Amino acid sequence: MFSSLGRRRVIVLVVLTCLLLITLDERGNRAIDGLRSAVGAVLHPIDTATRAIALPVERVWSAAMDYDDLRRENEALRDQLEHMKGNDIEARSAILEYRELLALNNLAARFSYPTLPAAVVGESPSNYQNTVEINVGSRQGVRVGMPVTDGAGLIGRITRVYATRSIVLLITDPEFSIPARVLSTAEDVSIPTGTTVAGSETTTPSGATASDLTSTTTSTTTTLPGLTGATSTTTPATVPGADSTTTTVAEGSATATTTPAEVVRETGTLEGQGADKALILRFIDSLTAVTSIRVGAVVDTAGGISGLAPQGIPIGVISRITPGTGTRGAIVEVTPNAVLRRLNFVAVVMYVPGADGSLP
Amino acid sequence: MRSLALNALTRLLPVGLITLSVHRVVFARHEVFDVKLQLVLALVVAAGTTAGADKGAIAGFVLGLLYDIAGNTPLGMTALAYGMAGMTAGYVQGLTPDPQWWLASIFATLGAAVGEAGVPALELMTGRVDGLDPRLAWTVPMVAVSCGLACTPLMPIGRWAVGVRRKKWKVITE
Repeated sequence: MFSSLGRRRVIVLVVLTCLLLITLDERGNRAIDGLRSAVGAVLHPIDTATRAIALPVERVWSAAMDYDDLRRENEALRDQLEHMKGNDIEARSAILEYRELLALNNLAARFSYPTLPAAVVGESPSNYQNTVEINVGSRQGVRVGMPVTDGAGLIGRITRVYATRSIVLLITDPEFSIPARVLSTAEDVSIPTGTTVAGSETTTPSGATASDLTSTTTSTTTTLPGLTGATSTTTPATVPGADSTTTTVAEGSATATTTPAEVVRETGTLEGQGADKALILRFIDSLTAVTSIRVGAVVDTAGGISGLAPQGIPIGVISRITPGTGTRGAIVEVTPNAVLRRLNFVAVVMYVPGADGSLP
Repeated sequence: MRSLALNALTRLLPVGLITLSVHRVVFARHEVFDVKLQLVLALVVAAGTTAGADKGAIAGFVLGLLYDIAGNTPLGMTALAYGMAGMTAGYVQGLTPDPQWWLASIFATLGAAVGEAGVPALELMTGRVDGLDPRLAWTVPMVAVSCGLACTPLMPIGRWAVGVRRKKWKVITE
């Protein structure tokens, strides 16, 4: 078959063709994009047929091998859900207050872009690519660069768009980087939820950290000394694990004031390090930044004109800070909120990078 | 050249599409010890061990190109790595006249190791990544051994896809 070419020539031809294709693809080529789209369209029915054959086998295997694990996981999730109900009530209340404050101060909500729900229909076939394929594309208004989230936080951004599907580069990919912001209070490790009442009476120092949350709930009722008469009792939502306090304060006889927590904001660049690895947050001046942030601090998108996502999409929490040695800066590791190995449904944020404030 | 193009269109392409589909649906979704086993690479080395270095390189190129197109990896990168894999498997197989199945499996393992290590190596050379992932030390042997094991059952498919017939040895009688 290759007698006319010869072995060496065939191999040289293959190598040269590959190098040419790599160069063309790196520079961006419409013909190649069209080819990808066409092959995707051809593969779709084949994938569907293969899935129809593989799914029953997969289910039988899963039923046989994973039943016990799934049952345990289900029970754990039920417990978690019960605990989350308490958090949900408190969070809703906080959101309402937040919106009210924004309205009072004539400020726009920081993250108010519409989202497009999508299902994950494929994963990267390679061990070295951290991408997923979703079932929405240019026909639904998806554009390259749009951020993608799941219920827990940012999962990546759109890197390729076809008519009815798109490719999402996950935040763990080494090619992924995004401006991110660390939000923490001065005492972030022990969350200060204290309410100071006139007379220097601090009534609610729960002192619980996010990681310290357990399933026990303690409720304390504090009555300020000397304050009797008609009382107004506020029953807070039961937060699982966190010590909740009901403060009974006589109406008109005490002024409740809230001390604003000093919020530390540090902006850096978040980069992926590969599958199953924590993200790395880099700062321009890492020495100053690292001294003002703590493990457990929340990380979200920084936004801005040059940002790749609008401000305020949660990304994760700081899980580790390794101090710098010598000329090497400190390493700040961030654990993403989203579980990237179990993505089923996601939402594309209809935000075009570089056009902060405008919709596509 | 005509038969090469004809073979690629009528045999390698459909076989490649089906293999790729099975890989995407089954193997890409289920990892074994945190590694995605590579069915397409197994077919490439199977073709290489049965058909020789040049045809192995062609099979690797065509199947790798399909992988790149469908898998959204940079076009030509997997094609080059898999082309090298098919060529290596075919080359080492050519050192023995008629290898036993287990020897062919070892050759396929070598070829698969080249193919699996080739992708990150090319990514490093083209500047897509800053350094090699330490997971390679686990991923490459896992993929190589699994491809070596899968090579024997895949050999007939690989042989048919590249259009060669099984060698038949005849006893010379006087």
